[in-house]
Amino acid sequence: MSIKAAPLQQKFITPNFWVLIFFMVTGAGFAYFRFFEGFGSVTNLSKAYPFGVWIAFDVACGVALAAGGFTTAAIVEIFGREKYHALVRPAILTAFIGYFLVGLAVFFDLGKYYNIWHALVYWNGTSVLFEVAWCVMLYLTVLGIENIPNVIEQFGGGKVNLPGPLAKFNGLGNWFLSKADWFCRKTMSFFVIAGVVLSFGHQSSLGTMMLIAPYKLHELWYTAMSPLLFLTSAVCVGPCMVIFEGTLATKFFGRKSEAELLGSFAKYIPLFLGTYLLLRFGDLAYRGVLAQAFDGSVQGYSFLLEMALFIVPYFALKSKAIRMNGTKLFLCALSVICAVVLNRFNVFLIGMDMGPNWNYFPSVGEFAITFAFLALGVMMYKIGVNYLPILEEEH
Amino acid sequence: MKLDRRKFLKIGAVAGGTAACSVASPVMARDEREPDPNWYGMLNDSTRCIGCKACQVACKKENKLPTESTLGDDKAFGEAIYDSPRELSEHTYTLIKMHQDENQQATYVKEQCMHCVDPACQSACIVGALTKEADGSVKYDAGLCMGCRYCMVACPFSVPQFDWFKAIPSIKKCTLCSETRLSKGQPTACSTACPAGAITFGKREDLLKIARKRIEAEPERYLDHIYGEKEIGGTNVFYLTKPKVAFASLGLQDFDYKAVSGLTESIQHRIFQYFIPPIAVYSILGGIMAYNQRRKKEAGKLGGDDEY
Repeated sequence: MSIKAAPLQQKFITPNFWVLIFFMVTGAGFAYFRFFEGFGSVTNLSKAYPFGVWIAFDVACGVALAAGGFTTAAIVEIFGREKYHALVRPAILTAFIGYFLVGLAVFFDLGKYYNIWHALVYWNGTSVLFEVAWCVMLYLTVLGIENIPNVIEQFGGGKVNLPGPLAKFNGLGNWFLSKADWFCRKTMSFFVIAGVVLSFGHQSSLGTMMLIAPYKLHELWYTAMSPLLFLTSAVCVGPCMVIFEGTLATKFFGRKSEAELLGSFAKYIPLFLGTYLLLRFGDLAYRGVLAQAFDGSVQGYSFLLEMALFIVPYFALKSKAIRMNGTKLFLCALSVICAVVLNRFNVFLIGMDMGPNWNYFPSVGEFAITFAFLALGVMMYKIGVNYLPILEEEH
Repeated sequence: MKLDRRKFLKIGAVAGGTAACSVASPVMARDEREPDPNWYGMLNDSTRCIGCKACQVACKKENKLPTESTLGDDKAFGEAIYDSPRELSEHTYTLIKMHQDENQQATYVKEQCMHCVDPACQSACIVGALTKEADGSVKYDAGLCMGCRYCMVACPFSVPQFDWFKAIPSIKKCTLCSETRLSKGQPTACSTACPAGAITFGKREDLLKIARKRIEAEPERYLDHIYGEKEIGGTNVFYLTKPKVAFASLGLQDFDYKAVSGLTESIQHRIFQYFIPPIAVYSILGGIMAYNQRRKKEAGKLGGDDEY
């Protein structure tokens, strides 16, 4: 069973391409106001809700949903499940894109974005954000390195062929790729493990972040276990994202279904979800706050919905028949993804109870810029799989 | 390949357990920060405040802040509201708010930065742009700040404000007049302006003594509690209130006596203590990887390409 990935080399400018361009241009329009007229001109942020959808979705959910990279890398490369090797490259590519977008979203969300490098120089070890920033930055670098072999495979061995006047750099490109090839072969194991450890670090630290506000965050989510819960839920959603993206890629690029491989890969999900739910309910029961879920508040309902989205796929995915059915598997994966997204929203926004005078709902501008980020991500993925050997070649 | 699943689970459990211990082991309180006897602060006596807002005016003047109009707001609210502006903002570092009890009796309370003994904003700030100074003030450095607004989330009093309508925004809050007045040996602008003696400026230690004396001298006038002495690890601004007006009703929440940053800091500290937990996880994962790679080599080719 030889596995060989190859670039798709399909027609690039399709109707979908224009849809993505539309979203990006709209976002760029709102971005102008964000950067030149202040946050107040585009966002609904306020003194009570200084963090909005850009932090809750683009950053917190972005990091969680990019967990496909480290979970797949760990399962295949570290725990040696070679069977799923075909899933590694797309997972690592999407993780790279995901973290790139997280970085971009942070840049948009920072008031003094030009000071972003201060995180490198001015250290405050007591800050949770400091740890998150470093891990995200290092992990993005690691993901970049993990993607280099794909570039080498395509262009390495003297195949660099730049267009027009850039052709004189072909020699330099070839030399650089051969050095990079040597470097990657020597060090890749180191980076694979580093990627997993760094992911452990910042996935959990994101859970620590809102613990700084004990009098603002609702008790259903305010727990010292939060970092561990964030980490385990990220591990749960990782394989789900692989399934979600795999299924969509098959559909949009008109490829042969991978349902069998994905279905088999899905067997890990109930294992992870079970662990997560055990920890979650153990924590809730230990703290004795479960009753608050039924007090009829927005937070209570939001919590119940979040739990339902976690629990249903847990039981469903225990059945092999459901795992092997492409559509049902996709829906289960989607449910876990929604659950994790809702969980992050609950911790960062919905669970932040700032009193009756305050509320927050994202503005059109905030949505538009978020959609622009998503469109950019899809576009980068499209470019990646079209020109680099990411997806497995069809036989 | 027979023992696969069980082995996988076992190894996974060990690795997960290690990670779990590093993150979630019972979190101990970190050392409490002790207040420095040389720190300055203020004592706001809400039983004395007459609600003239002279302190608000003095603050605006001292910090060269623009005015904020609430004219016409009474139409939207259906009645005229005393508090103007309604909340602290990037243009208002201190604010007098009115609380009315059942008997329509008014109590006025002053809002500004509490200059905490162990500030949550300082703990939270990613670049250390908020610092506790030797004079007791919590100072903000606009040049260091990245504008992430985590201090606004962290502050239990929601004091730090943000320039929502500026292209290059900064955090804005009360400075305790540290650079403009304290450095010249002058008291804060608001305390100087107060005609009713409701704002007393002085060293934290002395203010506590004054507050205790006032409570002792007129026990029927005061609730026997100095807000800020212990709340969230102590603040440099204290409050006194009437016996029948709870601090909570004045917007001064019933906080615990420990600093809010205790939990996050001890979790952070635990994860990165001498880098042992990350290195341990790294070594375990490395061991598993080496084991699996050797097994793969011994079993001959199991398929798959050999790069990373």
